[in-house]
Amino acid sequence: MTIRQEDPVKMDALDPANGLNMPEMADMTFAADFLIRVKEGVRSTAAALTEAASPDVRALLRAQLHQGLALHQELTELMMRKKWFHPYELSEQYQLDRLSADHTVAIAKQKLFPDDTRRQGLFDRTPDEGLEGSRA
Amino acid sequence: MLAQKPTLAAHESLEIHEAINFKTLCLAKSKLMQGLVFDQELKDLMQKDVRQYMQAIADLQALYGKAEFEAPVPEFRPTPILN
Repeated sequence: MTIRQEDPVKMDALDPANGLNMPEMADMTFAADFLIRVKEGVRSTAAALTEAASPDVRALLRAQLHQGLALHQELTELMMRKKWFHPYELSEQYQLDRLSADHTVAIAKQKLFPDDTRRQGLFDRTPDEGLEGSRA
Repeated sequence: MLAQKPTLAAHESLEIHEAINFKTLCLAKSKLMQGLVFDQELKDLMQKDVRQYMQAIADLQALYGKAEFEAPVPEFRPTPILN
């Protein structure tokens, strides 16, 4: 059978056809998540810096802000080099946005996990658990 | 008033609280993601992130100790969560 790139999720989660190009697509998702976290870190640190009054708080937050900005640059360059992110080719980025969203929605529609994920009884509990669990 | 111990302003302490929790969650996620990524360069960058977060958390913890609501840290959580 032929697998079309624009509709890669077929049948169920166990179908090996779903593994096609999976590493590349998964890495793109992980990188996007990483980028969002780095960006949020930079923004919240900058906001916290504008609330700082003590010199040592200001110094630490400023150092962390610079570190975050450097990491953001490094990650952005990596993502551009790997073609995961296209800040200068907006039509390509648009296509990527739509495909990623559709693909992720298709994955989200699948039943990936059992109904009962409580896994009760699989983990150790302290012997004095009966003491209202105050040592949890 | 704790004259001998320099304390942070109340609003600064809350900023540190936000920062420390954000970084703790990011550290957990970056560490977890390292086991899932395929690309070696991306994994290396996440490892760098993990190293930086550990240092950042240590530095923030040191500052957090100067919060006015600072308290001795017990071995276990103060309020039980077991059913």
